[in-house]
Amino acid sequence: MKSPSPDTLKQVKDFSRPATVFAIAPVPGTERAFLGCQDFKVYEAEFSAAKFEPKELYAHESYVTGVAVAGKVVVSGGYDGKLTWWDTVAGKVVRTVDAHAKWIRKVISSPDGKLVASIADDMVCKLWDPTSGKLIRELRGHKEKTPQNFGSMLYAVAFSADGKFLATGDKVGHVVVWDVESGQQLATCEVAVMYTWDPVQRMHSIGGVRSVAFSPDGKQLAVGGTGKIGNIDHLEAKGRIEVFDWRAGKQTAEFPGDKHQGIVNRLAWAPDGSWLVGAGGAGEGFLIFLDGTTKKPVRQEKLPMHVHDFALSADCSTITSVGHNRIQIHKLG
Amino acid sequence: MPSKHFCGSPDHAVSRRAFLGSTAALAAAAAADMTGLDVLSSPALAGELKKGRKRVILLWLAGGASQLETWDPKPGAITGGPFRAIKTDVPGFQISELMPQMAKRMKTTCVIRGLNTRNGDHGSGAKLMMRGRRDEANLRYPDLGAVVAREMGRADSKVPDYVTFYTQTEGRSMAPGDAGFLGARFGPMELTTNNTPEFIRKLDTITDLDHRERADLRDLLGKQFAKGRQSDTMNSQNEAYERVRGIMASEKLFDVTQESQKVRDRYGPTQFAQQCLIARRLVEAGVPFVRVARAWWDSHGQNFETHQEMVPELDHVMATLIDDLGERGLLDDVMILTLAEFGRTPAINASLGRDHFASAWSMTMSGGGAKGGAVYGKTDPKGNTVVAEEVDAGSLFATIYSSLGINPNKNYYVGSRPIPLVNPGVEAIAALAK
Repeated sequence: MKSPSPDTLKQVKDFSRPATVFAIAPVPGTERAFLGCQDFKVYEAEFSAAKFEPKELYAHESYVTGVAVAGKVVVSGGYDGKLTWWDTVAGKVVRTVDAHAKWIRKVISSPDGKLVASIADDMVCKLWDPTSGKLIRELRGHKEKTPQNFGSMLYAVAFSADGKFLATGDKVGHVVVWDVESGQQLATCEVAVMYTWDPVQRMHSIGGVRSVAFSPDGKQLAVGGTGKIGNIDHLEAKGRIEVFDWRAGKQTAEFPGDKHQGIVNRLAWAPDGSWLVGAGGAGEGFLIFLDGTTKKPVRQEKLPMHVHDFALSADCSTITSVGHNRIQIHKLG
Repeated sequence: MPSKHFCGSPDHAVSRRAFLGSTAALAAAAAADMTGLDVLSSPALAGELKKGRKRVILLWLAGGASQLETWDPKPGAITGGPFRAIKTDVPGFQISELMPQMAKRMKTTCVIRGLNTRNGDHGSGAKLMMRGRRDEANLRYPDLGAVVAREMGRADSKVPDYVTFYTQTEGRSMAPGDAGFLGARFGPMELTTNNTPEFIRKLDTITDLDHRERADLRDLLGKQFAKGRQSDTMNSQNEAYERVRGIMASEKLFDVTQESQKVRDRYGPTQFAQQCLIARRLVEAGVPFVRVARAWWDSHGQNFETHQEMVPELDHVMATLIDDLGERGLLDDVMILTLAEFGRTPAINASLGRDHFASAWSMTMSGGGAKGGAVYGKTDPKGNTVVAEEVDAGSLFATIYSSLGINPNKNYYVGSRPIPLVNPGVEAIAALAK
């Protein structure tokens, strides 16, 4: 089925929120989603309701930065290092696990819902059985320290569409592609430009690989972040996207950004591969659509808030962007 | 040449230099045979000895570290950020989870949480927090380092009195060491490009004898020039030159390879860690004041990433410094300060950053006469305002001076004008007196 053109993008809903929303996990086939928020809480939101009033479900002990729906289970993770399982049928927490030694950055589910992956600044990706809560595998391939001997961070994770591969990306621009079944490293890609270490003026760093996404055929890997930054007090570089032939570890395309300042926090491909969309921001936000073949920008949309995550519906008709004190819904087609 | 600056105290009717010289001799004698000299029977002498031992290491967190990610966490508040608070060795007192090592050492450290310094500008804020007050139109006040150098330095010292490391370039020009009206004699030796002083070595092209003779010639010409003239600046310059050879001999103090690998590993490999190790070497050798500037904390974007990177380094290095000084028996004599031009806003901006904020922030004093385990000041649940025990820059400096055994109300003189160390009416925080 042909995916709708980015030319048809239009904003249809806009909700203000009292706190930043870091993560969204849609319930397939519905207009419901689960939200992970700055107020430490996980909410269930019904976007078709006459009055938008997300329902508070439970709380972590810190920012909730990852939410995944896997069948009838929601798994959330946060800066408290914990993963919490929520039974959507029973409407209760069924399990909380001290999953990581450091801050959890993202939680996602595999396309078939049979696995949940969590990443954290302990630089480990963990694969979990969403039903039993059992830890299935640990993927270790990212260094705990940056070259300058500071703690590194593991920001990005994504499954391929067939669920066979998983990619992880860290602060210094190191990307690893894993075989999900065996846990073996298959390839690495380096995106050093997304990591800025300032050794002279400010003696610290900014940036990192913040998002990864496999093309529908699994052959290409898009990587999102930001470019080299002069003044690292701010996210002053443009949002940057690179595309790799990941098996060769070779960059095949780059979009250094031209209009929108900030960092690309989330990437997704249209199911037919005709385009790729990235979202992120700095003081404000953006949606950037690149042509799936040429990787040239075909549509760029300014959003009023820094976007931390979005949900793209299966038919590509809806993009629900969440971020700094706001949620916006755009329609395609 | 006697100093033109005297404190005006009747106790110091003799010149300070002569007094300190005799103090040093008495101290040496006392160390040799405490039974033969009842040093402590003279309050003036005991006080002079007490303060004479004090030294300061200032960890200058340039750009403004966040109080919420260090000393005054607000877990659960919408302003609190993602990091949790952890217990410390002081019952009921918590700090950020980014500082687990300091959490075990808060009994050594006094935290002031109620700073309201009313200046959120890098340049003028840095000047304020280096001096404790704003300069007057025609009067530049000495900064903390210069005052400590003036008060604790010894005329016969072979080491510099005031050393400052500021290697990063951002903010350096906004926070220079400055002796103000005290003059060059108490100005800092500034290290900006590497960890050892530049141009400290004698040129290979001249002999040691030549070097001495040149100094003698400069001294002779200087004295001839000084006849019939009175100038604080001239006197200060002359005193600085008199100390050149001693300072030249201090080069090894800046060389961390003089320390064992075990000690260097303990501090860690970062530049800040190495400079703090050098600072320890310097105060151990008698340098009264060392500032180690660690730039740049100005996290308008990605505040939590910045602090996640930089606070653990501060935590580790500060804890190591406290342990090292303690093991060497120096912690009672050396005060470690953490200070900056301001803190950061409780409000979190769209870039997940925090901006400049001087209304309710924190600093610390460890060792050296500070009241360890004390927590002074309270901010509201979101960290926006000070709700109890507010402290301004003046009273902070009065407290630091007082903790070091320096009377904050003593006067320097510029001409005939008495200039107290802090503005009239400003007092040290009584609750923090030991």
